[in-house]
Amino acid sequence: METYFTAAVAGLTAGGAYALLGVCAVFTYRLVAVVNFTGAAIGTAGTFMLISLTEAGYPTWPSVLAGIVTGTAVGVAIGFVMTRWFATAGASTKAAVTAALLVGLIAIGLRLTGGQHPHVMPELFPGSAFRLAGVQVTNASALTIGLAVLFTVASSLFLNGTRTGLHLRALSERPMAAELLGVRVRLLSLFVWGVTGAFTTFALMIIAPQRSPNFMTLSLLVVPALAAALIGLFRSFWLTLAGGIALGILEGLASTVDVVSQYRSAIPFLVILAVLLWSQREARWDEAR
Amino acid sequence: MSALRVSGLSIARAGLPVVSGVDLVAEPGAISVVLGANGAGKTTLLEGLSGIIPVTGGTIAIGGSEVQNALAGLRSRAGLAHVEQGRTVFGQLTTDENLRIGLRKGAGTDEAYGLFPELTQRRQVRGGLLSGGEQQMLVIARALLTRPKVLLIDEMSAGLAPVIVTRLMHTVRRLADEGLAVLLVEQFAALALSIGDRAYVMRRGRFVYDGDCGSLAKAPDELHRLYLGTT
Ligand SMILES: Nc1ncnc2c1ncn2[C@@H]1O[C@H](COP(=O)(O)OP(=O)(O)OP(=O)(O)O)[C@@H](O)[C@H]1O
Ligand SMILES: [Mg+2]
Repeated sequence: METYFTAAVAGLTAGGAYALLGVCAVFTYRLVAVVNFTGAAIGTAGTFMLISLTEAGYPTWPSVLAGIVTGTAVGVAIGFVMTRWFATAGASTKAAVTAALLVGLIAIGLRLTGGQHPHVMPELFPGSAFRLAGVQVTNASALTIGLAVLFTVASSLFLNGTRTGLHLRALSERPMAAELLGVRVRLLSLFVWGVTGAFTTFALMIIAPQRSPNFMTLSLLVVPALAAALIGLFRSFWLTLAGGIALGILEGLASTVDVVSQYRSAIPFLVILAVLLWSQREARWDEAR
Repeated sequence: MSALRVSGLSIARAGLPVVSGVDLVAEPGAISVVLGANGAGKTTLLEGLSGIIPVTGGTIAIGGSEVQNALAGLRSRAGLAHVEQGRTVFGQLTTDENLRIGLRKGAGTDEAYGLFPELTQRRQVRGGLLSGGEQQMLVIARALLTRPKVLLIDEMSAGLAPVIVTRLMHTVRRLADEGLAVLLVEQFAALALSIGDRAYVMRRGRFVYDGDCGSLAKAPDELHRLYLGTT
């Protein structure tokens, strides 16, 4: 029993990162209507800026800052492509474009970072924050979960309480009608891409030491992130947050069972499949009536 | 100077010309009415003017400065407002939020509630839950709060009860009397001609009539002929 509990708690760091990445995916989808497959890759680009600076001997925290700036810039660049050339495209076209961009980013990223060549990722927040029923909860997990909650609360306060937030909500519903009223639609869209770029970068910096830090592995963390977003049906921030954490815990638990342990990275796929099948069933049910 | 001056405007849709060589003006204090059968190209014309779709040729000047290559947002900030066909309210936002989106310096939502008092009761109601008439009032008021020099209105009477249509027409007339330049696209020809100053009739993307509303209103046969193109 205790081993299960320990394993579940160990899954919290990944869960917190999935939650944060998932919440960012929902934010991007709700505000600029893009299912963004490049989310984790954007964060990975920023993380590798941090890695290469620290490997070159620069101090950690300025490198973290440079990494976040890089992630923000890559996010804005992807956002520029999406708003400049695909603003009026349908949802599936946009998703396909970001999937293609993901492949491109991984290719460029692997080339620049030396492929599978091992890197040293500094652990930013070593140690544990507190004990939960006798089990250590790491700083990293407390921080990612805290950040995901903060992002959720802050974004809802921002969207509902500020003029820019009102413009973003208008933009998400009818971009053209918003633009006709003088809302700076392109600028705001880039802002959304930049903010999510910064947050995903930070999430990846925290989770990277636990994974093999190579560009492809980290970029593919978009899969559990989108699985979490799907649990929230790309609408609910809180459900996405819970979904991300649950995924992490599930992975942690799976690692204790020998037969499934090797397949635990397939868990997000199974969740995606299950949610899609379930939502399809709803649709078919509606049609039948 | 005209608030809006358009010359030689052409617009294509899906590669086919839909508006060809249109010249028009909208003056402060006057209503220019654009009539025409379904599919004549009226909505396309307005969408080209406000920047929803690109134009293929010609010039659009708002208060003397050319904007035909500018994005829609910039044309709005230059003084053009477009009330689109089909009442494009933000259904998830409340009436009050809908009004606040485009609010310019010196404008306040009180003006909107003064113009359409029935919206006051609906302040905190989501746009999607308003009646058709309320939605039409909302989109007109919302456009006015951007402090436009020129107001483009596309078929505001579609699907509304005649009393509301009359009411809205009188409101538009009053706005023009206060100095706004209005370009009004309408299917209710008689009513539009009764409040309008200048009239244009569009057929297959071209203007086949350009004159005053009064003489067209007195000659329904002529209007019928212009619509259908029988000579
Ligand atoms: N998105 C589009 N793509 C291609 N063609 C279009 C598009 N929208 C309109 N058209 C075509 O352009 C022509 C003009 O359409 P438009 O909507 O401007 O007419 P309208 O005068 O506003 O008609 P209505 O009175 O029915 O609103 C029509 O032949 C229509 O088929
Ligand atoms: Mg039309």
